[in-house]
Amino acid sequence: MDLRWKKRLMDEGEINRAVNRMAHEIIERSDRLEGVVLVGIHTRGIPMAEHLSKLIKHYEGVELPVGKLDITLYRDDLTEIGVQPIVRRTEVPVDIHDRELVLCDDVLYTGRTARAALDALMDLGRPSLIRLAVLVDRGHRELPIQADYVGRAIQTSRSEVIKVRFHSTDGQEGVDLLERGS
Amino acid sequence: MRQMIKDARIAGLTEGTEVADLYWRDGVIEGVGVGGEVDRVWEAKGAFLAPALMDLQAHFCDPGQEVREGLAAGMKAAAAGGFGTVVVMPDTEPVLDDAAQVAHLQARAEALGGVRVRVAGALSRGLNGEQIADLAALQQAGVVLATDGVMAVRDGHLFRRACEYAEELGLLVQGGGLDRNLCQAGVMHEGRVSERLGLPGQPAIAERLALYRDAEIARMTGARVHFGHVTTSESVELLAWLRAQGAPISVGTTPHHLLLSEESMAPFDPRCKVFPPLRPPSDAKALRQALIDGKIDCIATDHQPWTLAEKEQDLVQAPAGIAGLETAWAVLYTALVVPRLLTVERLLELWTSGPARVMGWKEPRLVAGEAADMVLLDLDTPRPVEPMGFFSKSRISPWDGQNLCGWPIATFVRGQCCFTREGFGEASRTSVHRTERL
Amino acid sequence: MMEAVQIRHRHLLDLEDWSASEIESLWRTTDAMVEVMQRKVKKVPALQGLTIVTLFFENSTRTRLSFERAAKAQSAEVLNFAAGGSSLSKGESLKDTLKAIDAMQADLYVVRHGVAGTPHQMSRWTDASIVNAGDGRRAHPTQALLDGYTFRQGFRGFDGFRGKRLVIVGDVMHSRVARSNIGLWTKLGAEVVLCGPRTLLPTELGQWPGVQRCFRLEEAVEGAHAVMALRMQRERMQSGLFPSVSEYQARYQLTAKVMERAHPDALVMHPGPMNRDVEIEGVLADSPRSVIEQQVAHGVPVRMAVLYSLLVGRAR
Repeated sequence: MDLRWKKRLMDEGEINRAVNRMAHEIIERSDRLEGVVLVGIHTRGIPMAEHLSKLIKHYEGVELPVGKLDITLYRDDLTEIGVQPIVRRTEVPVDIHDRELVLCDDVLYTGRTARAALDALMDLGRPSLIRLAVLVDRGHRELPIQADYVGRAIQTSRSEVIKVRFHSTDGQEGVDLLERGS
Repeated sequence: MRQMIKDARIAGLTEGTEVADLYWRDGVIEGVGVGGEVDRVWEAKGAFLAPALMDLQAHFCDPGQEVREGLAAGMKAAAAGGFGTVVVMPDTEPVLDDAAQVAHLQARAEALGGVRVRVAGALSRGLNGEQIADLAALQQAGVVLATDGVMAVRDGHLFRRACEYAEELGLLVQGGGLDRNLCQAGVMHEGRVSERLGLPGQPAIAERLALYRDAEIARMTGARVHFGHVTTSESVELLAWLRAQGAPISVGTTPHHLLLSEESMAPFDPRCKVFPPLRPPSDAKALRQALIDGKIDCIATDHQPWTLAEKEQDLVQAPAGIAGLETAWAVLYTALVVPRLLTVERLLELWTSGPARVMGWKEPRLVAGEAADMVLLDLDTPRPVEPMGFFSKSRISPWDGQNLCGWPIATFVRGQCCFTREGFGEASRTSVHRTERL
Repeated sequence: MMEAVQIRHRHLLDLEDWSASEIESLWRTTDAMVEVMQRKVKKVPALQGLTIVTLFFENSTRTRLSFERAAKAQSAEVLNFAAGGSSLSKGESLKDTLKAIDAMQADLYVVRHGVAGTPHQMSRWTDASIVNAGDGRRAHPTQALLDGYTFRQGFRGFDGFRGKRLVIVGDVMHSRVARSNIGLWTKLGAEVVLCGPRTLLPTELGQWPGVQRCFRLEEAVEGAHAVMALRMQRERMQSGLFPSVSEYQARYQLTAKVMERAHPDALVMHPGPMNRDVEIEGVLADSPRSVIEQQVAHGVPVRMAVLYSLLVGRAR
């Protein structure tokens, strides 16, 4: 698949400002911040969750645990695809029973990843509440799923691809819009 | 009826591409270029005419397991393989240890016509290795060889007595191929490959020891003993040495032991399961050398037909045996004569005068006064092995799909045509017509 | 660290054609499956809609259960076919038997058979995937994978298989577990020492690269990193393969005392089922060196990873 770069949507500073704002929103909306668990979806939901945790600790002095969630085994297309997704270990360091979770991911698109993540979380325990935080919401939902915290909402077409990069996973930081070649 | 094969290269009579016409009346050859009116002309168009092949070892499973072969299918398969004479084995149900049965089998074969069927009788009653069969009565009924099969008679003493008895009758005995105890439950040759495949093996000495005992008994008793399934280099050397010491023995092997090896088992292919088992490639090579050196007297097919359902089993359940009548000549011709490892004359000898000498029969030749048992071979046109087109009921071949040369195109026994390959007969019939008008 | 690779195999017949990086990738997937089996709900929907048939021509309740659990934990449908004895007794060829079951539209067969090569033969007769759950004395690849995984997880300060030494003690001749472990450990760079009475250690096996034979247990375990005792079946005495149980115990029983000669962190393994105090001293089996229970526990996640690897991403 050919991908053509179109434009930069967010640079490092813009990402920082967006995540900063989301951190504040999480602080504001939570009744008991100590009970919140941040759960990042492999791969780029994890640096986002870690980033949020760091900022919340900075502002409030509360260190929220960060879990890593792999949703591969919950994908609804496993038996239809021609490549084999690599399954990574899910690591949620605390019992999520009755806890408030913030599920973190880089991009919200069809909603299928979030759906799979919800199923996965339910198999880990019974959280009291799950909220969804995404850096970019690009629309085109196929399931009735909405994000509670959005870094930036962007209008896209289906032929476009959003590429998010973080220092810890990609060695650089930024959000780019690419176009799928014919 | 007087017939003639026109424009054939004739074994032992013509040189190179030179062709000649061979005439025969009823079942007897009149000679080459005799001339005169004939009832039928067969256009050889340069094909190679040879004495019909002889197979000293074929299992027709008749009576009892006709689902695997039966006399009629087996005889057709033999004719299609270029054979004019076949010795059928006694491991039938019931066992061929009874004179009346042997006589009946031979009468049925006569009635069917075509290939000459000679009978090997059981050496021990019921092949049980406990009591010698009525060898004199069997011989009188037509038995030409006494054998208990590939596994050596367990009791050496019994084999000794049987040999003494047979010697006095002048009956040929087949010696043991494998020692049962040493073989255990082995399904293939024990060695590198069996260990890799995790299949139980049988050690090569299971063959050598069986041969050694029986050959020594032959030497002691003076009985003529034939070893029909000699498959290892060391067995060949052992028997050559014993023969040099005066043991009245003869040696045969099979096309599959000459051409295939234990490696053929590597894809877990029950088609290649056979007893004695396929050996390492070095043994097959030594056997091929022994053909040249004269340490092997004859080749036999050890044609052992099984149904597909019987063969499509795991390697332990699947029965041992290869149905090779229809491919025997072509596989060896293609693998040995085409690359000039062996002359066509020597290969022919191993299938004709070789077995005749082993049996004490007159050596077949295409000259006046001899029986018109002949095969016409197309040495040049490659044709794939197609088991589904076999006359044998066993449509399984380890050579499935391979392109071979040398295929028989017509077989004549007692002067009568009992096989023509598709296309050959047609062309001839028109030429008969024309000749008659002339 | 090795990159995870896509596993492109259709079947798991043996490990001969699996590369070291494929095996490591499978073990990474196993890591994820271990976590799944620690959850409250030990079930993921990964293989929903797929059908797995266990085809056991030889009885083995443990192995079958382990596969069944691995399949069900990923939401596959599981059908069990206990073929028991031979299909020939019904006048049906092995191929016919498989063709009949093929009508169930299975996506994968788990095959256990007493004769080597049967899973290979079957793979020629069906479009479904085949997992070899043990064929004759040839191979038991999932057992070797779980043994290797247990060593990878359990050996203190594990830094790879290179330079490690595995000793396999007992009836190597009849053991598919031994053959598969030999193949796996040598592929990953370890040495394998086979130990037992000469009658049970085929000469040919001792000539494989990276493999040695040793007939004295004390010498064999010297400096070993893992020692695996094989089940000793009493029937072997009848075939003249060893004289008596007491003589076997005296010479080849794996004991705490003999393990003192091994590496201080050496692990004791046994593929089960275990004859306590025959091939392995009871107290040793229960000692901290022993990872026998972990071997059993790893059976399910390893098999989950195998099923996942063969069944996901197959659409082309």
